[in-house]
Amino acid sequence: MNIELSEEAAEYGRQALEAFKAAGGDGLVQQAEAEPGHRAEQVAPVLAELGAWDLDARGDADELEAAAALCRSAGYWAVPYPVAERLARPADLGTDGLVVVAGTAPAGAVAGLDLRWTAVTPDGRRATAAALPPAAPPRESAFVTGLALTPLDEAGAADAALGLVLPCWTLLGMLDRAIDLAREHVLVREQFGRPLAQFQGVQFQLTDAEVERSGLEMMARYALWSGQANLPEALDDALALRLAALEAAETVFRVAHQLHGAIGFCDESPLSWISRYSQPVRRLPLGLSATRDLLARRLGRHALTGRYGDVAERVTS
Amino acid sequence: MTATATGLTAFRAHVRDWCRTHIPVGWREAQTGVGEEEFVAFQKAWFQELRRAGFAVPHWPAEWGGGMPVAEQIVLYQELAAHDAPRLVLAFVAIHHAAATLLAAGTDEQRRRHLPAILDGEIWVQGFSEPGAGSDLAALRTTARRERGAYVVNGQKLWASGAAHADWCLLLARTDPKAPKRRGISYFLLDMRTPGIDVRPIRQATGESHFCEVFLNDVEVPAANLVGPANEGWRVAQETLGAERGMTMLELAERLGNAGFRRLVELCSRPGPGGARPIGDSPVADRLAALETEVTGLRALCRDLVERHEAGTVGRADASIVKLYYSELLQRMTDFGTEVAGLAAHTELRKPLSSSWESGAWALDFIGSWEWTIPGGTSEIQRTIIAERGLGLPREPKGA
Repeated sequence: MNIELSEEAAEYGRQALEAFKAAGGDGLVQQAEAEPGHRAEQVAPVLAELGAWDLDARGDADELEAAAALCRSAGYWAVPYPVAERLARPADLGTDGLVVVAGTAPAGAVAGLDLRWTAVTPDGRRATAAALPPAAPPRESAFVTGLALTPLDEAGAADAALGLVLPCWTLLGMLDRAIDLAREHVLVREQFGRPLAQFQGVQFQLTDAEVERSGLEMMARYALWSGQANLPEALDDALALRLAALEAAETVFRVAHQLHGAIGFCDESPLSWISRYSQPVRRLPLGLSATRDLLARRLGRHALTGRYGDVAERVTS
Repeated sequence: MTATATGLTAFRAHVRDWCRTHIPVGWREAQTGVGEEEFVAFQKAWFQELRRAGFAVPHWPAEWGGGMPVAEQIVLYQELAAHDAPRLVLAFVAIHHAAATLLAAGTDEQRRRHLPAILDGEIWVQGFSEPGAGSDLAALRTTARRERGAYVVNGQKLWASGAAHADWCLLLARTDPKAPKRRGISYFLLDMRTPGIDVRPIRQATGESHFCEVFLNDVEVPAANLVGPANEGWRVAQETLGAERGMTMLELAERLGNAGFRRLVELCSRPGPGGARPIGDSPVADRLAALETEVTGLRALCRDLVERHEAGTVGRADASIVKLYYSELLQRMTDFGTEVAGLAAHTELRKPLSSSWESGAWALDFIGSWEWTIPGGTSEIQRTIIAERGLGLPREPKGA
């Protein structure tokens, strides 16, 4: 197995990062919040220019990796558009995107876009989904809105895995950014006559956050490969990735906020925006404990196979 | 039962009776989502209610309207917390920080001018932090230049909580730019109506603008408003900051352990959309039990701190231990509340004002909890104090 992203995918991710920056960078989400009606016009042309809609995430490994890299770059700038959801669109239903839903109040961060959606539950039940008018402005809802579902079929197991994995790449991009922002802040901010970065207590917090982030990156690559290889446990791997992503997000954002100080909670600070707009992907379709619960129930008395599963078998046999 | 214990039992019964008849019924609902004006009016009315009962400033000396024995103060705060009384949010800086400063370092004239006025509702704000002076407060750059009978102040203050409502400000400014950092600072009482003061709100993640920036342009402060000697403001400021540590922490710990914890248990007992109650899940029940244990420890620590203050045996790091413990526990508890409350909690952006830090609007409470790990000495600063002053470990090398 090779879980390295191809150089083409990595380069595509870098180009996307630059393109979002040129289109407004941090200003994208701020403007979308002020004028929610215009969010699609701001972002969709950039995505079209990047060839995002030609990517077939269900096709070969290269395209899937490029899709993942694009999600990560979108997360880095908290791009106010459901990039991962659109890239995960089902192959056979002619809809524009896929949202994984759970529980009795299905919802997604897809408010106010004129798009046709498919919803899928983690156990593979699919439905056509219509985004309801948002009950609250984006400042409060971060574009999350309810979905009206019309049941369709039960053929969505692979959809669920991909629909869980790609948003984790978006969240990974958000964590990349939170770490970068925290790192820049402690290098620049001086107290007691020196940059905060010179205090070992500060360094250690940031290193703990970075360890979480890089662990997540490995999981994200593995789950991507697992889905691409159509492994029977692809959905378990996707849920394990989601669990790791949520745990990493807790640590990374806690550290980034604490090291930023009060400014990190103010509109002047990009961290405040990234942190707020990370909430939908961290809460939907299932939060930390519900994700853990579902994974535990699915695994039962088995363990995850993982990268070294065959090694474990050889050792125990 | 000893005579003192009998007295305390009687006092507790008295406070309980008072709480039953005086805490406004349904104040939480009434204070949820109200505007600033209504919040201020409610706070001022509640303060006067407490004042009439002798409960507003029990920690002040008797001659100024306080004089309640520490043992009774503990009972008072336990009962106010148990009965979920509104908190004195608006008057907090006035009755604790301003009063402590005036009592420790103010002139008789300053005390006579301000302590009765505080009882009548004068609101204070703390003007300490600056853009370049947060944890390193002594790096502050706001200047106060002596001119005839006054000081002329120029600079910028940051994170002045509630500055929009304040009548007066506790101000630190540099009076001797050449002196070493901590030596050239003076402490002033600043009338917020003085010309040259510009208060600008800062918009926070919650959408509120509780913190403010305060710009000071040629603001004239009469020399009579200097507290303590010129250039000795750093020492005076320690009195101000010291006011945060004793009984106020006990009050907050009691709040967290009483109504705060009850609300968390209620939340976990509420049926979810599928009908199941979170508390039926053993991981949820385990977390609640762990939090209850921690709250119990916190309450004991606070009580010990208050009693040691009284006995004069307080350790050099005790206050930091309590602050660190409280802030991180508050953060864990509100984080857990947010997790259990689920997605719906994220769109609940109205909380009962006049409430404690755990109001039950969990997402807002969680964000609010960072007002404890960051200001008033960050958790990093508290850890440094505990290491150096408590454990006697060496200081971090300069410029390491």
